[in-house]
Amino acid sequence: MRPAVPTSRRVAIQAGSLAGLVALWWAAAAAAQSSALPGPVAVWAAFLEQVATDGYFGHLAATLARVAAAFLLAMVIGSALGIFLGSRRLADHLFGGWLVFLLNLPALVVIILCYIWFGLTEVAAIAAVAINKIPNVTATLREGARALSRDLDEMAWVYTYSTARRIRHVILPQMASYFAVAARNGMALVWKIVLVVEFLGRPNGVGFQLHTYFQLFDVATILAYAIGFIIVVLAIEYLLFEPWERYATRWRR
Amino acid sequence: MTGLTVDIGAKRFASAHVLGEIRFTLGTGERVAVLGDSGIGKSTLLAMIVGYDTDFEGRIIRPDGRAAMVFQTPRLLPWRTLAENIAVTPGAGTRARARELLGEVGLGAAAEQYPETVSLGMQRRAALVRALAISPSLILLDEPLVSLDPETATSVRDLMVQILDRTLATCVMATHDRREALAVADRLIELGGRPARITSDRPSGLPRAERSNPRAIDDALARLFPSP
Repeated sequence: MRPAVPTSRRVAIQAGSLAGLVALWWAAAAAAQSSALPGPVAVWAAFLEQVATDGYFGHLAATLARVAAAFLLAMVIGSALGIFLGSRRLADHLFGGWLVFLLNLPALVVIILCYIWFGLTEVAAIAAVAINKIPNVTATLREGARALSRDLDEMAWVYTYSTARRIRHVILPQMASYFAVAARNGMALVWKIVLVVEFLGRPNGVGFQLHTYFQLFDVATILAYAIGFIIVVLAIEYLLFEPWERYATRWRR
Repeated sequence: MTGLTVDIGAKRFASAHVLGEIRFTLGTGERVAVLGDSGIGKSTLLAMIVGYDTDFEGRIIRPDGRAAMVFQTPRLLPWRTLAENIAVTPGAGTRARARELLGEVGLGAAAEQYPETVSLGMQRRAALVRALAISPSLILLDEPLVSLDPETATSVRDLMVQILDRTLATCVMATHDRREALAVADRLIELGGRPARITSDRPSGLPRAERSNPRAIDDALARLFPSP
């Protein structure tokens, strides 16, 4: 086993590594002397200008709202379908093939079809993102449902657990790590697809701004949006997902 | 409170005929050990008696009241502490009562620990406390001492007998260990053959007061199972 690195040292290493990346970027931009590769200072200036003039945080909020809506929708529907397929063998045989088909359907095709069928609306945008994510959640949760312990099921039966008690104390804790995997991968996928959806057919959001500044060939503003968005997504990962995962697995030795 | 009636014609898994005719009745509070080699169908029989497995020919009449089962593995919820495991069991009472019961079996200090952080012997004790906590009228014990070292097995067995004495429950214990059977049961039922049937059904002849005495168990073993 690899020796454990103390937390403070690990944080220092990661911070140093990130600083190295920024330094590398700085050096590359200084060497290139081109508007196609602006340095950190130019990107910071573009960020401040966007905040002052073009509603940077408004666009960020619009994108995050779409991410949240599509994510929740995909998690709820995907989990229900996954648990259903994982616990009903016949349904799994019947619909397993559909799942493989949907898993391999390109995201862009779903987005275009949703916009054609439902128009350039908010509902179509969120549905397109959710539909892209649902098969992944379903596949993950199906594995979780298949792995449920028969021993604990028998114990719960013998000790007359009610359905609610069984779900809360026996089933959900076993599924927690599968929910965590689905949520993490879901977040990573959803926010990328939301940008494409906005790029193609929404009047606001980070994707829409990327589209606008792509046409203006303004790389500094494009990077200002990209970096801001990455920071928000990382914050969600570290402040929400990691603590939740630690809590859900606290009983492990 | 009535006793237990087991009236099984046959039990099959797909094409495998596992159990043949198995018929016996137990009076209220009577304790029987079902003896047989590993894989003969003892656990299957217990699952049928408790009502979890209903796919067989025949019928089982259980005593009124709750049934408890102590499984081969303790089957505690790994994400709940020992006390929580007992408190979430319907009919077991509050967490305070769970802690109190755990304290009575020497697990007071471990009450708020997770099962994976305590020894197998402690997990088995907690599983016994869970069975006791619901005041059952029927207790099923499925090889409850398997994979314990001899010292721990003896202490868990003594605890098991104390719990049976306290609850006055009717009890069926599945085991392959004759000594263990004699220490707990009033009556011994042996299974044999394929499909498994009852090959003998007789009282142990060992008074309850003498069952913790190793010499009395040795004598009973020699009397009931004479070497050829």
